[in-house]
Amino acid sequence: MDKTKRAFVGGLLAAAMTAGIAAPSCAQQRTEIQFWHAMGGVLGERVDEVVKRYNDSQTRFTVVATNKGNYDEVINGTIAAYRAKKAPHVVQIYERGFMTMLLSDAIVPVQDLLTEKKKQIDWSDFIKPVASYYLYKGKLMSMPFNSSAPILWYNKEHFEKAGFKEPGPTWQELDKQLYAIKSKGIAECGSSLAGDFFWSLIENYSTVNDQPFGTKANGYDGLDTVFVYNKTKVVEQTKRLKKWIDDGIMQIAGQGLSPEQLYTSGKCSTFFASTAAHSSVERNATIKWSATYLPWEEGTTPRNSSIGGATLWVMKGQKAEDYDGVADFLAFVASPDLQLWWSKVTGYVPITNKAYEAAKKEGYYTANPTREIAILQLNRGTPTANSQGFHFGNYTQSTFALRQELEAVWANKKTPQEGLDDAVRRGNDILRQFEKLHAGKY
Amino acid sequence: MQASTSVATELPATPRVAGKRRAAVAGGTAGLKRAHYRNSRLPFLLLLPQLLVLLLFFFIPAVRALVQAFVITDPFGTTVHFVWFDNFRALLASPEYRSSVWVTLWFTLTQNVLTLGVAAVLAFATDRVIRGRGLYRSIVLLPYAIAPVIAGILWAFMFNAHVGPMTYVLKALGVAWDPTRNGFDAFLLVTFAAAWKHICYDYIFLVAALLAVPASLLEAAAVDGAGPGLRFFKIALPMIGPTVFFLLVMNFVYGFFETFAIVDAVTKGGPGGATMILVYKVYLDGFVHIDLGSSAAQSVLLMIFAVILTMLQFRYVERNVNYDV
Repeated sequence: MDKTKRAFVGGLLAAAMTAGIAAPSCAQQRTEIQFWHAMGGVLGERVDEVVKRYNDSQTRFTVVATNKGNYDEVINGTIAAYRAKKAPHVVQIYERGFMTMLLSDAIVPVQDLLTEKKKQIDWSDFIKPVASYYLYKGKLMSMPFNSSAPILWYNKEHFEKAGFKEPGPTWQELDKQLYAIKSKGIAECGSSLAGDFFWSLIENYSTVNDQPFGTKANGYDGLDTVFVYNKTKVVEQTKRLKKWIDDGIMQIAGQGLSPEQLYTSGKCSTFFASTAAHSSVERNATIKWSATYLPWEEGTTPRNSSIGGATLWVMKGQKAEDYDGVADFLAFVASPDLQLWWSKVTGYVPITNKAYEAAKKEGYYTANPTREIAILQLNRGTPTANSQGFHFGNYTQSTFALRQELEAVWANKKTPQEGLDDAVRRGNDILRQFEKLHAGKY
Repeated sequence: MQASTSVATELPATPRVAGKRRAAVAGGTAGLKRAHYRNSRLPFLLLLPQLLVLLLFFFIPAVRALVQAFVITDPFGTTVHFVWFDNFRALLASPEYRSSVWVTLWFTLTQNVLTLGVAAVLAFATDRVIRGRGLYRSIVLLPYAIAPVIAGILWAFMFNAHVGPMTYVLKALGVAWDPTRNGFDAFLLVTFAAAWKHICYDYIFLVAALLAVPASLLEAAAVDGAGPGLRFFKIALPMIGPTVFFLLVMNFVYGFFETFAIVDAVTKGGPGGATMILVYKVYLDGFVHIDLGSSAAQSVLLMIFAVILTMLQFRYVERNVNYDV
């Protein structure tokens, strides 16, 4: 007890001293901009580099980046801080929090801010599905930062041994291949179920196959949207996944084991996961890995997939002069140079076409072909009402309901149809609650 | 969020109730208070720090949770609608919430019986361990020193369906073990992990209580030909009744509120809600899904459940507990 107390007091003293030292130098000219983010580990170091590059590039502002835990913790921390009037200037929020942030009355729309501060941004240059996810009434509400898309990772050796060049483009072909690989005893399992499978295998399945997820253009045209994925091809997809799990084609890693490990160790032949897994797969894989597009249903024309990741939101209620710095920093983040570097070191997609073209010109994708898959998949065709993104209120909550119901399906407690029906029922209750709360605001 | 802190700080109240009762009985009509405190202000002054802590960390958050339970609100607090009992009505109508209530009941009951049962056997056996008694006690007490999250991760890994060493043992014995898909397996896993973590707590109290049982009585019974089982049930158990009752209440409180970290580490409430105990649901809906109204309503209901359960125990179980031996 005594020791911890002493350490605590020591820490306070140290903090007070550093604050005392730091204060005069700040007071001279640099304005501090607080930036909260959710990037831990290697990605966190990359964010620190972004901030360092920015701070070194000019003399008026100092951006202070703080990792506040995972995405859930960051949005919660921001909410608590905002209520206590101690919110940061800029905060990184996941794509699922879009509606919550948009209707919070606590944010400054990014495009308005940057236009007002006369920052030169080519708003039409953002990769379409990236921008469309965060558009509201034609304007970007937050600054795209880290965007990814799910792709199909596969074990080259497993496919070659079974006599296939690569995974087939459709679900039907892939299904046959995975069963063949297992029955020939080449791999113990065909695929490992990722923790965010609802995103890669359900939501993105809907966008790629142009299936509606909810009415009103997936919520873009009104808060009175209802989920409809229990009446689309998602039912077939769920049945397929259930069959795969029953037959041992698909394995669920469970707590204490990362699903990615089942793939990178060579136990499972494929893995449906984010392109952002590049950094860890490159480091950890003991196998000959490769990647390709997400499969689609036989006989359909595949559309663009949807994105995942996060954007930078600007919070209301800061000092007016601070917003100069915020705008300056966000313009820096969106600049092609930074995006090019960022996508190379992280595996996220470059968010503007300029950054993408620059990478292509350098020959980066010739040397790293799998890095291009996500962006080609995102740029495939023109986004439709079904593939532009998802604007559902309290989306984390209904996503959780979907995941829970699908777990009940895997456990044989419900049939795929029952599970999806229940998920839709619960999701619609959540949507109605959100509609009631924000009536007339969207 | 206030809800969960209020729930946690409420805990010390329960043992105090039990303690006070016991003290009152022991003190009899002599009136402990009057005998020791002439100055009537002193007891209040002494209580003040604790009352302040309670006010700050229990009463204020509890009142705020109560208020929050009757509104729906935007997480940022910019839009608030008063909805009367809508939050409660929605909860009681939701099959997921009802299933969570059942899971919690089964979980606390099983965990309670398991913990007390194993702890009682271990405690009674302490006397019979002659060589290495210190080592025996240390081993039994070890889990108490392990943080719940670590304990949870340990169990999750040991029984992981793919790489867990225990899974190999179970599979060799012909048990199809899969807590990632099978809800019952997950439930068992969480229950065992929670009980394992808490056995030592019960053990300490039971050993202490058993020490107070006069050896002469046990020896006399042994001379009369009673075996260890008979001696335990006929002599030791009635004499340690108050301790057992106290532990019963404490185990319920533990199961209700403190198993959060274990569930979070072992199953995260899954699969399909099979281990979704109420306190974990409060956390999920409040902290992760930021549905503050529903989360507050849930913590109010949870508090009511806990109070009712504790009252029931005092009413029906305590009746059979004799404090005067």
